[in-house]
Amino acid sequence: MNAPVSTLNARREKAREGFRSNGVPHRRVEEWKYSDLHAVLGADKVEQAGAVSWKINELPDGVELFDLSKKKLPDWVKQHLGSLTRTNAMDAASLGFATSGFALRVPRGGSGDVKIRLSGEGQARALIVLEEAASLTLVEDAAEFSGFQNIGVEIVLAQGSHLTHLRRTPKAAQAIRICEISSSVARDATYRGHFADFGAKLSRTELHIALDGDGAQTHLSGVGVLNDGHADVTTHVTHTGGKTPSTQLFKYVAGGHARGVYQGKVTVAQGANGSDSRQTAKGLLLGNRAEIDLKPELEILADDVKCAHGAAVGDLDAESLFYLRSRGIPENEARALLMRAFIGDAVAQIENETVRASIWQEVDAALEGLS
Amino acid sequence: MLEIKNLHARVGDREILKGLTLSVGAGEVHAIMGPNGSGKSTLSYVLAGRAGYEITSGSITYKGEDLTALSPDQRAAKGVFLAMQYPVEIPGVTTLTFLKTALNAQRRARGEKEVDAVGVLRLVREKAAAMKVSEEMLKRPLNVGFSGGEKKRLEILQMALFQPVLAILDETDSGLDIDALKLVAEGVNALRSPDRAMLVITHYQRLLNYIVPDRVHVLSGGRIIKEGGKELAHELEAKGYEQIIKDAA
Repeated sequence: MNAPVSTLNARREKAREGFRSNGVPHRRVEEWKYSDLHAVLGADKVEQAGAVSWKINELPDGVELFDLSKKKLPDWVKQHLGSLTRTNAMDAASLGFATSGFALRVPRGGSGDVKIRLSGEGQARALIVLEEAASLTLVEDAAEFSGFQNIGVEIVLAQGSHLTHLRRTPKAAQAIRICEISSSVARDATYRGHFADFGAKLSRTELHIALDGDGAQTHLSGVGVLNDGHADVTTHVTHTGGKTPSTQLFKYVAGGHARGVYQGKVTVAQGANGSDSRQTAKGLLLGNRAEIDLKPELEILADDVKCAHGAAVGDLDAESLFYLRSRGIPENEARALLMRAFIGDAVAQIENETVRASIWQEVDAALEGLS
Repeated sequence: MLEIKNLHARVGDREILKGLTLSVGAGEVHAIMGPNGSGKSTLSYVLAGRAGYEITSGSITYKGEDLTALSPDQRAAKGVFLAMQYPVEIPGVTTLTFLKTALNAQRRARGEKEVDAVGVLRLVREKAAAMKVSEEMLKRPLNVGFSGGEKKRLEILQMALFQPVLAILDETDSGLDIDALKLVAEGVNALRSPDRAMLVITHYQRLLNYIVPDRVHVLSGGRIIKEGGKELAHELEAKGYEQIIKDAA
C-alpha cells in the first residue's frame, strides 16, 4: 500500500495521477490477463464518464447517509474516503473522477438492512463505515444497462462489527461493469460478501479484504451463470491479525461463448498465526467454446497456519446424467438438476432467506437458458 | 413382453454382445448368470439405453415396440427400470427431491396427473418403511455417504415407487451381507406380479435362493449358451462356469 495521504483532495489528486500513469488495464497486466478491459474501453471514456445514480428507499433508525455529490463533507467521510485505495487503476479512477456516490455510517451497536439500487452508466464511489459492534446487511441491486460503469466501494469495519454484503448483477450483453471493493476488518469483525453475476460484455468484481485485527474474518461466495458473456471475480484476502479465518467458494457455469474467471490470492502476513484460509473455485463447462479460468494463489509468510485451496473445471458427469434419465427425468431437466446441484453450496452461503430465494429464481431462469 | 433377437452391441471398438437372443414373458422372472466379462452389465445398459453402447445388429422389442428407438427417460416412463450395480452419488440433490422429480417426470410423460409434495412423501414413506430407508436418508443428498446396502435398498425402494413393467436388476446382490440380501429379496418378491417381468442379472447363485427364477440363462462371450429352469443355477454353483461353458461348446 502507498503511504497515507492526509487530505481527501490530495488523495483524489493522487488517484487521478495514478490512473493517468497506468491507463486502462490490459491483458499484459497480470491481474487483468483474462479480462482485457483496454480492448473494450478507452481512457477518455473513463475520465469523461458521467455519474451513476443511486437510490436508497428506506434508512434504518440511526444509520447516517451522506450524498457524496454535496460539497461540504462531514469529518467521518473526509477521514475515510479514499483511505483504502489500492494501486488498481480502476479503483483510482472511481476515486479520482467520480462525482456521485454515497456514504453510510452505522453507529456503535446499531444495526439494520439497507437496499441500494445503482443505475446507469458512469462512475460512483461508496463508503461504508460500521462502528464498534454495529451490523448491517447491504443488498445491492444493479439495474440493467449498457455502457460503462465503474464503482469503487470502501468498507471500514470497526471492532466486533458485522457486514453482510450482497451484490447481484443481471445479464447485460453490452455492459462493461467494474466494481472494486476494499475493506479493512478490525478485531473480531466480519465481512461476508456474496455475489451473483449473470454476465456482461466485461464484468469484473475485485475484492481486497484486509483482516487487520485478531479474530477478524471474511466469508466470500459467488456464482456465475453465463450462457454467453463474461464474469470475473478477483479477490485478495490478507491475513494480518492472528486467528483470522477466511473462506471462499465460487462456482461458474459457462455455456456458449461465455468466459468465467476467478483469481483468488490469499496472503498470510508474518505473525498472523492461527490463520485458517480455505478457497474453492469450480467451473462447469458446457460446450467447447466456453472458457473458465480459475487461479487460486497462496502466499504464506507465517508459520502456524492452515491454508487449503482447490480448483476444478469439468463437464456434467455423464454417469449422473444417465442415472437421472434412466429414472424418467428428461435430458434438459436432468441437466438443469445437476447444474443446480453444482451451484447449490455457493448459493447456500447466503444466510438471508429472502435474498437467497430471489437469487435461486434468477439462477434457475439462467440455467434454463443453458440446459 | 421382451424379445431380444440376435443382438450385437459394442462399446467403442469392442464388440461385447455377439448374437444374444432372449424372450421374457409377462409375470416371469428370468435370471441371467455369467462370469465376469461375459456381457451382463452391457446387456443391462443396452436395455436402459445408456449412451456409448452401440447396437450394431439385432433387435429389442418391448411390448411390441422397438425399444432402441426410445431415449432412457422415455423407456423409464414406459415402465423399464434398471436397478444399478453401482448407483451414482449426486451431491446437492436430496433423495426425496430426486424421487419426486423422477416420479412426476414419468407420470407427466404418460399423461398422468402429477403428485404433489405431500402425496409423494406419503407414497415414499409407505415404501421406505419396508426397505428400512430412514427419513434421515431421504433428506440426505442422493446416495452420498450411503453404505453399499443402503444404496441397493434405495434402488429397490425406487422400483417399488415407480412400479415398473420390466425390472432389470444388475448384480443387486453384490456387496450385500446376508441380512441386507434377504431384505432386498423380500422387496423384490413383493413386486412379483402377473403383469410384471423381471430380469435378474447375477454372478452368484446365492441371490436366486431368495428370488427364485422361472428360467435361468447362462451368458458367456456375449451369447446365451445354455438355458434351463431354476435347477440350472444350482448346477452352475456345483460345477462352476468353466465346466458349463466347456459342456456347452
